[in-house]
Formats: sequence, structure tokens, C-alpha cells
Amino acid sequence: MALRAVLLRQLRVPVQTLALAGCKSQPWSFSSCIRLMSSHDDHLSKEQVIGRVLDVVKSFPKVDPSRVTPDVHFQKDLGLDSLDNVEIIMAIEEEFKLEIPDKEAVKIDSCNLAIEYVYNHPMAA
Amino acid sequence: MSVSTAAYFARRAAQKERVQILYRRALRDTLNWAVHRHLFYQDASNLREKFDANNHVEDLDAIDRMIAEGEARYNKWRHPDPYIVPWAPGGSKFTRNPTPPAGIEILYDYGREDND
Repeated sequence: MALRAVLLRQLRVPVQTLALAGCKSQPWSFSSCIRLMSSHDDHLSKEQVIGRVLDVVKSFPKVDPSRVTPDVHFQKDLGLDSLDNVEIIMAIEEEFKLEIPDKEAVKIDSCNLAIEYVYNHPMAA
Repeated sequence: MSVSTAAYFARRAAQKERVQILYRRALRDTLNWAVHRHLFYQDASNLREKFDANNHVEDLDAIDRMIAEGEARYNKWRHPDPYIVPWAPGGSKFTRNPTPPAGIEILYDYGREDND
């Protein structure tokens, strides 16, 4: 009985220190062990976001792929229509599994804005 | 031509935004109805042609009337079970696993009594 009590006392480990112990033993996952108990902890890096957004824009049939840069404006530089703008934003939504509200989606006019929006969105996948 | 061009352009910009939002909703609805991609592409290009046919109308009242007609048609054709991204309101994962409040500890004492 006393042995059992001793053993159980050893097992009383609060979750916080367990998480930190896990951190120290795995140095390569230092960015992911800060928030361990939530389902919202997956963030993309800026280069990934830029690469994927540019891929989406380049694969649009009305766009010339060689003119696409990270700060290109859809209507001024690429000569697209406002409806093409809507289509590009829908393609970006499908790529990153986002749900952009209508009012904000209309305001996204250039690659810059799109990249910033996706990068700052907490649920971008 | 209306009296002040600033008001004219303001109204045109507001109409442009309404058209964009209508096109966005109609496109998403098309994707809801036509789940298979090849059907969706066909329907999307038909929708785009319908929008493009009225591209060159300049009269403000005619544009307003057409936008109202378009919105009525969209309301008639809305999908009863649209696909919503899981974490968004209305989706399947919405408020499924909210982040636990900070500072909570789990005490693994396995039902141990306090006077053991």
C-alpha cells in the first residue's frame, strides 16, 4: 500500500512540465511544442504561402505566367477583369481551404494583399 | 449623364462591388450543385458568359435592375446543403475542439484517495 502510494505520487506530473520535458528532448520541433493542446497550431511559412499563391495565379488560363510577381496587381498589371479577380480569389480559397467573407474578398486586388491575407489567416492550411 | 460625376462613379463602384459579390456567390453555388469538376467548369463558363453579355451596359438604373434580377435568380437557385469549410460557422468542425482555457492541469491520480 505504501509502495503504491509512493508510485502514484511519482506519477503526479502536471501537464506543463511534461510538455517542456518533451520540448527539450526534441530540439527540431521547437516551434510546435509551444501550443500542444489546441487544434489551431499549424502555420505556413511566408515562402510557402508566396509559392502557392503564385502557382495558383500562374495556372489561371487568362494570365501570362511570366509576368506574375509577388506584387502584381490583378486588374492593373495583368489586365484582368473584376470577375476574373473573383475567380482568382475563389481559387486561392480552394487552395488554402479558407473561407473569406464576401466584403473582404472583394477588396483583395493584388498578389500582395492575397499573400498577406493568407499568411495572417490562422486557419490557412 | 447624371449631375455630378463623383456620385456617378461612386454608384458605379458600389454596383461593381455588388456584381462581384453576386458573381462570387453564384460561382460557389454552381460548385455546390455541380460537384464533379468537369461539369463545374462547363457551368462556370456558362455563368461567366451570362455576366459578360451585360458587361457594356452604362445606364445606372438598368444596371440596378439587372443586379436585382440576378440576385433574385441566385436566391431561387441556392443549394440547400452548401459545402462550407469545416472550421467556418456552419461547417462540421466549427467549435468542435475549442482551445482549452490556459492554466488547466490534468492531475493523474487514478482515483487515489487523499488519506492513503
